Amino acid sequence: MSVLVAVTDSPEGEHALHAAADEAVALGTELVAVNLKLGRLDISRLREDVVVTVVERSPSTTPADVVLTVLDERRPDVDRLVVGVRRRSPVGKAVLGSLSQRLILEAPVPVVAVKLPETSGRGVASSSTDDADDAGSGDGGEQEPAPHA
Amino acid sequence: MSTTPAIPPPASLPPDTRGPHSKRLGVVAVIATFGGLLFGYDTGVINGAISLVARDFDLSPTMVGAVTSSLLLGAAAGAIGWGRFADAKGRRSTILVLAVIFFVGTLGCVFAPDEWVLVLFRFVLGTAVGGASVTVPTYLSEVSPAERRGGLVTRNELMIVTGQLLAYIANAVIGAIWEDVDGIWRVMLAIAALPAIVLFVGMLRMPESPRWLSGQDRDDEALEVLATVRTRERAVAEMAEVRALAALEKEERTGGVTDLGTPWVRRLVLVGLGIAAVQQLTGVNSIMYYGTTILEASGLELEAALIANIGNGAISVIVTVVAIKVLLGRFGRRQMLITGLVGTTSCLVLIGLASLLIPQGPTRAFVVLAFTMTFLVFQQGAVSPVTWLMLSEIFPRKLRGFGFGICGLVLWLTNFLVGFLFPQLVAAMGISSTFFLFAVVGLGAIFFSATQVPETKGHSLESLEAELRRRYTPVGS
Repeated sequence: MSVLVAVTDSPEGEHALHAAADEAVALGTELVAVNLKLGRLDISRLREDVVVTVVERSPSTTPADVVLTVLDERRPDVDRLVVGVRRRSPVGKAVLGSLSQRLILEAPVPVVAVKLPETSGRGVASSSTDDADDAGSGDGGEQEPAPHA
Repeated sequence: MSTTPAIPPPASLPPDTRGPHSKRLGVVAVIATFGGLLFGYDTGVINGAISLVARDFDLSPTMVGAVTSSLLLGAAAGAIGWGRFADAKGRRSTILVLAVIFFVGTLGCVFAPDEWVLVLFRFVLGTAVGGASVTVPTYLSEVSPAERRGGLVTRNELMIVTGQLLAYIANAVIGAIWEDVDGIWRVMLAIAALPAIVLFVGMLRMPESPRWLSGQDRDDEALEVLATVRTRERAVAEMAEVRALAALEKEERTGGVTDLGTPWVRRLVLVGLGIAAVQQLTGVNSIMYYGTTILEASGLELEAALIANIGNGAISVIVTVVAIKVLLGRFGRRQMLITGLVGTTSCLVLIGLASLLIPQGPTRAFVVLAFTMTFLVFQQGAVSPVTWLMLSEIFPRKLRGFGFGICGLVLWLTNFLVGFLFPQLVAAMGISSTFFLFAVVGLGAIFFSATQVPETKGHSLESLEAELRRRYTPVGS
C-alpha cells in the first residue's frame, strides 16, 4: 500500500511532500513522490522513518496527466493522493489551469488537500472548496488528514 | 528542436581512428552543410537584389520591407513546424523535403510576375530556411562522434554568414557583368537552386541519424548506420551513448507552458526571450539585408556598392571563426555580451553621425562601410555567437525543448520586424535617425544584459539551476 504525493516546484509542493510523509507513517505505508519540478527532488530533509520512491515526470505530457497516469499504473495499491493547494489570483486562473483542481476532481482515490498555514511552520488541513478553486467534494471524497507531528 | 548537451565521451570508448568511415562522415558533414549555406544565401541574396527588384516593380518602402522579410516570417513558422516533423519523421527525410522546398521556393521567386507572388514565394522559401536552421545542426551533431561535436551550436552561425558572403560575391559578380540587363535580380536569386539540388541529391545517399533511430526504438538500424561512420568496434561501444542521449533528448521535452506557473521558471524564460530579442534588436540584419542599399544611399553607384558590400560579408565570416576558435573559450558569456553590445551601440552612433555630417559621396560611403564592418566585428564576433550559446545553456534540461523553441520563435519574429520596418523607418526619418534609434534600443539592451542576464559559462546544469532559483525566487515565498 502507499500514499502518492504530487510535488510541485512551490512552497505548497514542499509542504505537501512533508504532510504526505506524515500521512504515510500514520497509515503505516510507503510514500511515492511524483516529482513535478524541473530539477531534482530533494528528499534529504524528509522524516527518516518513511520509505520514499521518487517517480519522475515523463516527457511530452502535462503534470496533471503524469500524476493521473502514475495513479492508474499503481492502483489498487494507492490509498490516497496528497496535493498542495493555494489561493490563486483571477489572472492566474485565466492563464493557467489548476493542477490541484484536476487531481481532486479526477483522481480515483481519496484526495488529501493541504495548504500552507497562515503563519510559517507546517500545518495540515482538509481541502475546502474555497482553496481548491470551487472543486467540489465529488467522486473521490476527501479524507480528514492524520494529525501531524 | 534540440541542442547537444556538452557530454564528454565515456572514457571507455575506443578512439575513432581514420579510415573509409571517417571520410564518409566528412562527406555527410559537407552535404548537410549545404542546408546551412542555403539559409545564408537566401537571406543574404536580397541585399544586392532588393534595389533592382524595387526599380523593376516600382516598390514602396513598405513593399521593399515585405519582399525582404516575408522570408523571416516563413522561417518562424518553418522552425516550429519542420522541427516537429523532424522529430516525428526523421532528420534525413526532413532535410530531403526542405531541399525540395528550397528549390520550388527559388523557382517561384525567380519567375515571380509581380511583387505579391515574390512575397509569397519568399515566405515559402523562408519555411525551408527555418526548417534548416533547426534540422541541419541537429542532424550534424547526431551523426558526429562526441569529440567532434563541440561548437556545433555556433557552427550554425558560421554556415549562415558563409552563405551570406557567397550571396554578396555572386551579387557583385552578376551586377558587374550584366549591370544594365533588365531583371538581372532574377539570376541572382536563381543561383540558390544549385545548392538546393546538391543538397537533395546528396542527402539521398546520406544515412538517417542514429540517435533519432534509437529514439524510435530502432536500435538495429541505428547500429547499422553508426557502423558506416565509425570503426566497427567504436560503433558497438557507442550505442550505449546513443541510447542515453536519445533518452536525454526525450527528457528535454518534459517542461512546457504549465511550468510558467513557477515564478523562477517564468523569470528565466523571460530572460531567455530578452536574450533572443537583443540579438536582433542591435539592427544587425538591417546591415546584412540592406547593406548595399545603405552604401548606395551614402553615395556609391549600385555596382560599386555591390562590390563594397562584400566587405560586410567577409568580415562576418572572419570574426565568426575567431569567436568560435578563440573568444568563446577564453571569456565569460556576460563579459562578451556586454562588450559586444557596447561596441555595436557605439558603431550605430558613429554610422548615424557619419550619415549626418559627411556630404553624400564616396567618402561618406567608405566611412559608413568602415563603421558597419566594425559593427559586425562586435555583432558576429561576440553578440550573435554568445547569445545562441547562452540560449542553449540557460534552461534546465527538462525545459530545454520548450525554452529554446519559444526563444527561437521570438528571435525570428524580431528579425522579421527589423527587416520589415527598416525601409519604412529610413523613408520616414532618414538613415541617420534610424541608426540613432537602434542605438537607443542598444542602451536598453546593455542595461538588460548587465542587470538580468546570468553567467552560464563554466556552470554545471545543477549549480546554474540552484543559482537561478535563488536569484529569481521572490523574497518571502
